[in-house]
Amino acid sequence: MHPAVLVKVDLESGKISRGPISGEVLQDYLGGRGLNMRLLFPFLSRPGDPFDPTSPIIMSPGLMCGIPSLGSRMNISARSPESGYLGDSNIGGELGAELKASGIDCLFISGLSNTPVYLWVHDCEIEIRNATRLWGKDSVQTQKEIRKELRDDCVKIACIGQAGENKVRFACIRTGLKNSAGRTGMGAVMGAKHLKAVVVRGTGGISLKDPQGYLESYQKIYSNLLQRKWVKALGRLGTPLLMKNSNELGFLGVRNNQQTTFGKQGDALRAEHLKHYSKGMVSCTSCPAHCRHRYQILDGPYAGTMGEGPEYASIGSMGSTLGNGNLESAIYATELCNRYGLDTISTGSYIAWAMELYQRGIIDDSTVGYPLCWGDQKAIIKLIHQIARREGFGNLLAEGVFASEIFGTEADKFLLQIKNLPIEMTDERAPKSFALGMATATRGACHMRSRPSRDVIGLPESALKKLYSGKVSSSHLDYSGKGRMVWWHERLNALCDALGICRFLSVFSSPHAPQAEEFSELLYRAFGEKFSIEKLWDIGERICTIERMILIRNGLGKVDDTLPFRYFDEPIQEGPAEGQAIDRSQFNEILEEYYHLHGWDSRGIPKVSTLKRLGLAEIASTNARCNED
Amino acid sequence: MQGAMKIRVNSEKCSGCHLCEMVCSIYHLGVVNINRSAIHIQKDDLETGACEPIVCRQCEKMPCMAKNNQNSAEYRVRFIWEQGLSETCPFMALFHWNDEVYHCDLCGGEPQCIRVCSTGAIDIEYGYDT
Repeated sequence: MHPAVLVKVDLESGKISRGPISGEVLQDYLGGRGLNMRLLFPFLSRPGDPFDPTSPIIMSPGLMCGIPSLGSRMNISARSPESGYLGDSNIGGELGAELKASGIDCLFISGLSNTPVYLWVHDCEIEIRNATRLWGKDSVQTQKEIRKELRDDCVKIACIGQAGENKVRFACIRTGLKNSAGRTGMGAVMGAKHLKAVVVRGTGGISLKDPQGYLESYQKIYSNLLQRKWVKALGRLGTPLLMKNSNELGFLGVRNNQQTTFGKQGDALRAEHLKHYSKGMVSCTSCPAHCRHRYQILDGPYAGTMGEGPEYASIGSMGSTLGNGNLESAIYATELCNRYGLDTISTGSYIAWAMELYQRGIIDDSTVGYPLCWGDQKAIIKLIHQIARREGFGNLLAEGVFASEIFGTEADKFLLQIKNLPIEMTDERAPKSFALGMATATRGACHMRSRPSRDVIGLPESALKKLYSGKVSSSHLDYSGKGRMVWWHERLNALCDALGICRFLSVFSSPHAPQAEEFSELLYRAFGEKFSIEKLWDIGERICTIERMILIRNGLGKVDDTLPFRYFDEPIQEGPAEGQAIDRSQFNEILEEYYHLHGWDSRGIPKVSTLKRLGLAEIASTNARCNED
Repeated sequence: MQGAMKIRVNSEKCSGCHLCEMVCSIYHLGVVNINRSAIHIQKDDLETGACEPIVCRQCEKMPCMAKNNQNSAEYRVRFIWEQGLSETCPFMALFHWNDEVYHCDLCGGEPQCIRVCSTGAIDIEYGYDT
């Protein structure tokens, strides 16, 4: 492959340099998450401070961003201020394609500016500009102001709101009205660097090796994709369609996962109700599914609220997780988070934690300053303001997982987190593959690293066996084969993240949706490079393994591939998943199956033979903790 | 009788995915460059969210030719027009990039953009000659 373009920016010295990333590296990592991990590895190969000025933040569009593809997503990675470990977040919208059109494949930003700045990338020209007057503005105001300043409505902007400026540990990076690099606190990294925004205008073209052949292949794959029921439903309802399933199957996190179904209150949060506010569906660049609403609330206490989405994750995090069955307030709270640049998932999880502490009397009005009861819309909204502005009790919660040190051991127990990232809007005690995927996700509790999903839709075992090349139980309550499922999906999703392909346009939506075979065809037509199916799967494995090495080098191991106490010790009390919990012994079996398939030893450490097979032995040569078979 | 082919636009359905622009430039120029396309999505992404595909309306009497002593029939089927012609369209549907102007030639009768519009924001319409 042709070398890729790496742009390095040192905010301290102001030095900007441009250099190549070799074709060999691209062959192994493609782009996006893959490239980020390869470049981040040396900086994350020992414990460190996420706010250390020398710690970089890396932004790479997926390899297929900017051409007709299956979405157009990019990854932003750094050491996570939220977890202290691997920080990585995937973001859609238009930014990835714009970066590609500017001729940049990877933006590597290090150093710390003394004053607020933004980076202005205009094709080949890159400059660091003053952002003092933007400091203090929210994520939408910031984008509007920058466009006004540059007199160009076409520039695409990744920016932080006040939460990032204030180094709230779960601040996100935003582009457009809705898209967020949400989890792991990448916005706080930008805030610490005084980097308010990265602004891009790319006007260059991307040459294709076989343009007409590419169109033929793409149209064939595109037509197949649009036949999929799930893709059609996403295009009508967006991800909130998951609310119905989660509520009815007992998968929903309710009141900090003390319950897993929200009953009739959950019905009030269902996707069908969004139609009332929707003005139409919008897409990321290069996506035929158009899975999010453009909405506006016209009347009531939240009149005037407008934006895009909201996603199931946000409705769950601002709704059921907090015992809040008022859809309009969940939409408003989501938009508030978006404007401030707060990750809605983590924000909801930490507020839920605080609400359970309040419920149990571990904290009270003297700590919070006001009652913090389940479903109290006003309290939720007030606390979001306080977190983003680091005021009052919000200043404590802004520390995320690290706030538990302030509240003490008893409080710590009710913070449901994995590898220092709080769990999300879904409860995984019933679906065992989901539970394992949450436990093993390399960035901490995360449904997007694997989200197996194929065993919850009633596929027969013969279909699962064909898809996964091994036996997998068709019951989502069963453990059998779930290690295989998670292993399979983790690699596929890592591959998709390296290519810039959206989850919803691959196997998440259907076993017949595009996967490695189709990706291989598109890559050949686009770039003239033959990637065999095996080679593509190996790329996914390589990314998973390099991330695993980062965790190991930061002192994490098998003991951290686990779930919060509630999953093991508190069987679900009521509802459709009543009685479900995770059995430690069976969980350990599927965890070991998962390690084995990855080529990691029984402690979860990549074997030397695996590192050699994946070409990682050299960069791991200083890895003292890798197993010697 | 069936009239001339044209692309009908239903802006309310447009989701702003840019696929139409991309395939236009690939089909005609062999590169992906949404600035070098005969169809453009005009967006108001931070405010109303409106997305409006803009493309040649295949006017029967081509006002874009009024000031040019050119052969309209020949230009109707040409994708790249000369510099300076982009200002002549009353609908602002001729787009220029550097010294080129791009005009929708309907891909010789099989518009590629229609094939990747999943929402139906653009489709084919046949006008009637009068």
